[in-house]
Amino acid sequence: MKLNRLPAAAAAAAIFATGALADGHGWSLKKAAEPYAGTTVDVVFLLRPGYEAIEAMLPAFEEETGININIIKHPYENALGEQVRDFVAGGDLDIALIDLVWIGNFAENEWILPIDEFTSNEALVDPDLDIDDFFPLVLNAFGGWNGTIYGLPFDNYSGLLFYNTCILEEAGFDGPPQTWQELKDVYGPALTKDGKHAFALQSKRNETQSADSFARVIWPFGGSFLDENFRSNLLSEESQAGLMFRQDLMQYMPDGIVAYDHAETVNAFAQGDVAMITEWSAFYSTVVSPETSKVADCVAIAPEPTGPAGRKPALGGFSLAVAAQADDDERAAAWLFIQWATSKANAGEYLERGGVPARVSAYADPALAETFKFIPALVESWQDGVPEFRPRFAEWPEITEIVQEWGSKIMLGEVSTEEGARILGERMEAVLEEAGYYSGDKPLAQ
Amino acid sequence: MRGKVSRKTIFAFIGPAVIGLALVGIAPLAYAIWTSLHFFNLTKLRKVKFIGLDNYGSVLSDPVFWEAMGRTFFLLGTALPLQIAFGLCISLVLHQPGLSLLKSLTRLSLVLPMATTYAVVGLLGQVMFNQKFGVVNQLLGGAGINWIGDPTNAFAMIIFWDVWQWTPFVALVLLAGLTMVPGEVEEAARLETKKKWIVLRHVQLPFLVPGLVAILILRTADTLKLFDMVFTLTRGGPGASTEFISLMIQRVGFRGFDQGLASAQAIILLIITIVLAQVYIRVFYKEV
Amino acid sequence: MAGRPRKPLWGQAAVLIAILLLCVFPFYWMVTTSLKTHIVALEAPPAWLFEPTIENYREALFEDGVFKTLANSLIIAVCTTALALALGVPAAFALARFEFRGKRDLWFWFITNRMVSPIVLALPFFLIARNLGLLDKHITLILIYLTFNLPIVIWIVTDQFRGVPYDLDEAARLEGASQFRIMRSICLPLAMPGVAVSAIFAFIFSWNELMFGLILTRNDAKTAPAMAVSFMEGYNLPYGKIMATSTLIVVPVLIFALLASKQLVRGLTMGAVK
Repeated sequence: MKLNRLPAAAAAAAIFATGALADGHGWSLKKAAEPYAGTTVDVVFLLRPGYEAIEAMLPAFEEETGININIIKHPYENALGEQVRDFVAGGDLDIALIDLVWIGNFAENEWILPIDEFTSNEALVDPDLDIDDFFPLVLNAFGGWNGTIYGLPFDNYSGLLFYNTCILEEAGFDGPPQTWQELKDVYGPALTKDGKHAFALQSKRNETQSADSFARVIWPFGGSFLDENFRSNLLSEESQAGLMFRQDLMQYMPDGIVAYDHAETVNAFAQGDVAMITEWSAFYSTVVSPETSKVADCVAIAPEPTGPAGRKPALGGFSLAVAAQADDDERAAAWLFIQWATSKANAGEYLERGGVPARVSAYADPALAETFKFIPALVESWQDGVPEFRPRFAEWPEITEIVQEWGSKIMLGEVSTEEGARILGERMEAVLEEAGYYSGDKPLAQ
Repeated sequence: MRGKVSRKTIFAFIGPAVIGLALVGIAPLAYAIWTSLHFFNLTKLRKVKFIGLDNYGSVLSDPVFWEAMGRTFFLLGTALPLQIAFGLCISLVLHQPGLSLLKSLTRLSLVLPMATTYAVVGLLGQVMFNQKFGVVNQLLGGAGINWIGDPTNAFAMIIFWDVWQWTPFVALVLLAGLTMVPGEVEEAARLETKKKWIVLRHVQLPFLVPGLVAILILRTADTLKLFDMVFTLTRGGPGASTEFISLMIQRVGFRGFDQGLASAQAIILLIITIVLAQVYIRVFYKEV
Repeated sequence: MAGRPRKPLWGQAAVLIAILLLCVFPFYWMVTTSLKTHIVALEAPPAWLFEPTIENYREALFEDGVFKTLANSLIIAVCTTALALALGVPAAFALARFEFRGKRDLWFWFITNRMVSPIVLALPFFLIARNLGLLDKHITLILIYLTFNLPIVIWIVTDQFRGVPYDLDEAARLEGASQFRIMRSICLPLAMPGVAVSAIFAFIFSWNELMFGLILTRNDAKTAPAMAVSFMEGYNLPYGKIMATSTLIVVPVLIFALLASKQLVRGLTMGAVK
């Protein structure tokens, strides 16, 4: 899946022809990239709008720098496995695409490099990098681990309530539900009829079961995965309340919600079959595009509903970091690409093309909220979210498998919420025990 | 002195195949045995350590493993009888005289399901069995059956595709058996009784037994190996309702990254496979 | 059996047509879905009549690189089949013709490999390939596919060699021919049908393989089935494109299977009915 690109020789010629060398002072991407023209940088991308956006912008970068970006596309569910295998194998990837829950793992394995390596190098760092312009929560959660920043936020999500204004108005609602309770007790019965459903909560036994379903119901009710001693908190009254709420809410969701991943959920909304979904901001462009959505004119966005413990929107998203296995040239080229893709200067275009930048400045223009209706809710949720919405430590890949397994079993009614949570907690603690959190070998960081 | 040749000659003929298969078959196996005796997590390679038989202990006492195993044999136990029943009917129909053009066409079409890429069968299943835009529900008169999202229905759907893909195989094997029955014997039997059942039971069945044995062996092996179609259709879901043994091991090894545990599971699966193959082959195959 | 009543033929014909339709319908649905636009493909209830588009094929082949993966699959399947024959035919000859200790166990070991779940080998093979720098290379799949191709070849061809009358060898040996000559000039031509059958099977199994392709390749050596799977779980259920890719994968092998259907059926029944 290589993109069209200029042959290196032609690119080099172009650099001379445009007189890039003449620009003696001041940093320019072209100049910084000069030693690395012809370098190929390998990176994993997902099949999501934010990646298509940057792919469309890529020719400009490649032309300017002569650096080739080789994109390897994977569905989300394969992306972690592919990258882990590549890093373990000492493979070709020069950039790591890091979901916020993978960062502890990647950092502890030293598969990724801290950005200091590059920000301390004047030849490589864009004077306009302006790290402080990233939403601090996002930068720290997506790109940081144990106080070190490794990645720059790239494909950035916050959980939002997408609702179909047409369906809601028809049922006599002039706005979205404010609380989860209201969603279930008032909107649920009113909007579930004629084969349509009020709500869909993606709950397939994949990462989505942990991230979008399980975690989404425990936090607003005051629950959490772990208590301050890293013991399971899933049997607490609050966590249980959340899980039971989810069971109860299922009556207003389509049958077989346990087989819905993002694609199915977004599609059900886009087809007008469900009135509301809580989905990542990243899917905005899918539901408002007439090519993929029947309800493009009826889409409105609100922050996620609040629970007894307040608004705890799902937090998720990716950062790009330079992979430690890359050689020096590839590292530099990879950094230049990451810096460019997440830059302030490009944030506007990225947004236009369907991406979601994490730059504060990108959202400064209030007029943007007209076109991109998710902006106010997004910006609000990034002011104050829960970084450990899903624990970000190295053990998450194992723990999420357990959550996925038992979370689905609970939903299917194969075990009670209490029994399921008990077993889940025991298995989770066994993993943490093995990792050395309880013996004090490891600091309790999530 | 039939068949006596020098060791060198024997080795020259059989050596390359043995070495080849040993390299790709046994070397990885040895490695798997080694990892199965260690704590070996891909994301924690710095903590690799020898833990003896701990992984095996975990597998043997893990209900999830045995549930997956039970599910796998349950699939075999439901799909195989259906395949044999349908396959036998089809082969008997094809064996009857007349309609030769239509029969040739049917025989030809039976080749198609078997040759289809298993992963594609799963993808096709997703499209055809979708609750809303699937053609299966439409053909069932607008039934809103939730195939993929309901544990029982999803299992039924897997059985359907397994039967769809492998009944032709059974039918063709049995048909070949039927054509081995000497014409005059069959004719004589038909003159004696009008009951097809009796002809089948006493005249044709003996010729079908070897085929049935081969079917039993191959279907058992293929069910233990079953991965592609289910991976693309349900990924083992919803919940764990279609998580068969090979899918489960894949999940532990490549999603949980616990290769030590997954290797132990794989070795136990291998032992079960070998024991079954031994039993089948030694009991039913008297050759070589 | 000429004098039988004609009446039951109608029932028979109905059954035959039903079987035919059941076998063929999924392919019909696959192809028609591949010709639907995104919106039409997701229409409920599904449309039977619509304006076809080849956009899905264009996208799959030229934008998503399915063409390259088809080429990879072809290269890998052809090479591994050839290799399996080169190694398997002499071994089969030895198993059929020579007497030596442990022959039965050796045969059993070969055949058992056919039964082993690929997941048993996938994990360690991945780690070994990683150590040898063989990930994402054609040769890796060509070699690992031997684990199921070689047993097929040995199983079928051994059987076939046994069917060749022994007297022929004997005569040749009296004339002083080496065992290799005997195999090549006398037995192999007579066993050719079996060799062809095993080659067809090896090719089809290799072409269809998913798990190793998924785990051991990434980019350069990615096979077509692995590619088809990677379209799933994006964000918009591109079923039209998935079915287009599926069609591209399946149609060549189906045509091949139909052309070789006689041999294929023979192969299925070899060893099975004797």
